[in-house]
Order: sequence, then structure tokens, then C-alpha cells
Amino acid sequence: MSLLISVKEAEFTFIKEKTNATAGNLSVQVQKLKEAGYIDVTKQFVDNYPQTTCKVTPEGVKAFEAYVKALQAYLQVGKNN
Amino acid sequence: MNQETPMTEQESLDLITNMIQKAKSSYHDTGIGSLLWGTVVTVASVVTYFQRTYDFSFGFDIWLIVLAAIIPQIFISVQEKKSNKVKQYEDDALNAIWLVFGITIFGLNIYQMIVPDVTNAFIKQEGWQLTKHYLNNSKADEPINAFTPSIYSLFILIYAFPTLVTGIVKKFKPMLYGGVITYGLFIGSCFTITEYDFLLGGVAALICWFIPGVILRRKYLAQQKANV
Repeated sequence: MSLLISVKEAEFTFIKEKTNATAGNLSVQVQKLKEAGYIDVTKQFVDNYPQTTCKVTPEGVKAFEAYVKALQAYLQVGKNN
Repeated sequence: MNQETPMTEQESLDLITNMIQKAKSSYHDTGIGSLLWGTVVTVASVVTYFQRTYDFSFGFDIWLIVLAAIIPQIFISVQEKKSNKVKQYEDDALNAIWLVFGITIFGLNIYQMIVPDVTNAFIKQEGWQLTKHYLNNSKADEPINAFTPSIYSLFILIYAFPTLVTGIVKKFKPMLYGGVITYGLFIGSCFTITEYDFLLGGVAALICWFIPGVILRRKYLAQQKANV
């Protein structure tokens, strides 16, 4: 999500390369995010090769922002104590 | 059996920051488009300067090489679209700006081709003509055709616009500086004769596109090498 949030859309191979995840592991994560409605996944063929493109949905952006805010609030509380 | 250890909140934030940085630094233009346009516009401008200064001709309009560059540009655009694994939010907006830039340059060429003849026709209809008059009366008055004075200054002005926008949006300093310097070249060209406008235009194309193109190409090739 952190990777996808900063771009408009990215190919599966790009995400795999940047996260150093295995294809199998990444597929599971992508499927989970898709089911949660946080990302859109488009599968197509380009020059006879399958191409999977992922894109964060507005719900995904909201959820990510909420998560980051919660993290920041938690860390802020820790600093103040 | 592997057991996943849950991340701490600080580790989560660090991971998010790290991924955002990776996504930001992942984009590198191939630089070929910039090199292509930088080369053809610089060559056409400088050759035009020499042609006008030393009064010679190749038998064809050197600016046709700029028109011909559209063909490889279409090929480059298609190839880059296919090979791009990631699309940034600003890509569509920047592509639109460069497309509008191309249309504007084309429109200005049309203006340059049409307006003098149309102006001549209008003033002829009104029953008068433009005349070159020598202030010291060393020569007799000569009738002249209408022309668009120092129009290449306007081309230089337009060269600066998409270059500066790209430099600002992509935070790419070579294009940002190129755009700013080109606005300076435009101001300079307002005070020079047309021959020098072409020379200044050649410098503009060099700093707006050719030099940034070389830098982009080197960065791109270095990134490709690192990925092997």
C-alpha cells in the first residue's frame, strides 16, 4: 500500500521488485487488498504477455491515511509519556 | 517453521517512508525524447543562423528535420508506454502539456506562413503598400511585403514554458534551470536581430532539452545497469 499510494498505478512486477516479495506472497497480499476494496487490479495481455496492474482506490487512500494517523498518534503518545 | 514477528509502530512508519521513497525514486525518463528534440531544434536553429549570416542554402528547408522528428517520437512514445511499469499521478498532466506545446508550435508556424500574405492582401485591398524608406535617402524607396518581425523570439518564449513546468513538477533541476534561462534568452532575443534570435533559440533548445536529455539518459542507463 505504501508503494502504491505514491503512484497512480503500478505493474505487479514493479511492486515485486521494490518490495523484494516473492510472486506467491505478493499475489496473496494483492488479493487480500483487492477483497478489502483498497486496490483495483487490472489483468490484460500486452504483446502476448500477461500484465497485472494495481491501483489504490479512494477507499484504500482513506484507510491508509487513517492507519498512518493512528500510527503517528500512537508514537506521539509514547513520546509524551 | 517460520513465525512472523509483528512490526512495531515505528518500524511500520519507517517501512511506509522507505516505500514512498522507493516509489518516488523509481521513475526515470529514458531521455531519448529530450535528446531527439534537443538535437533537431538546436541543429535547425544554428544552421538557420549560419544560412542567414553567410547567405547559403541546402536546397531544402532545414526545419523539415524538426517535422520529420515527429515520426521517431511516435515510435519512442509507444515503446516507452509499453515498457513503463509504473505511472505517476503527474504523468498524464505533463503529457498533455507537451502535446499542447506541440500544437502551439505548429499553430505559430501556420501563423508565420499565413499572416504575411493575408496582411499583404488586406493592405492591397485598402489601396496602400508597405515601403522601405532609407532615412539618409541613399537609395530610392522600395515596396516590401508584410512580415512577422522577430517571430523566433516567440518560439523561444514557448520553448521555456513546458520545460519549466516539467522541471518544477518533476523536481528536475536541469529542466528547471533550462526553463528559467530560456526566459532570459527570450528577453535577450527581443533586443537582437533575427539572425541572433536563431542562435539564442539554438542555445535554448540545447539547455532545455539536449543537456537534460543527456542527464536523463545517463541516469536511466545507470538504473538499468543496477537492475541487471
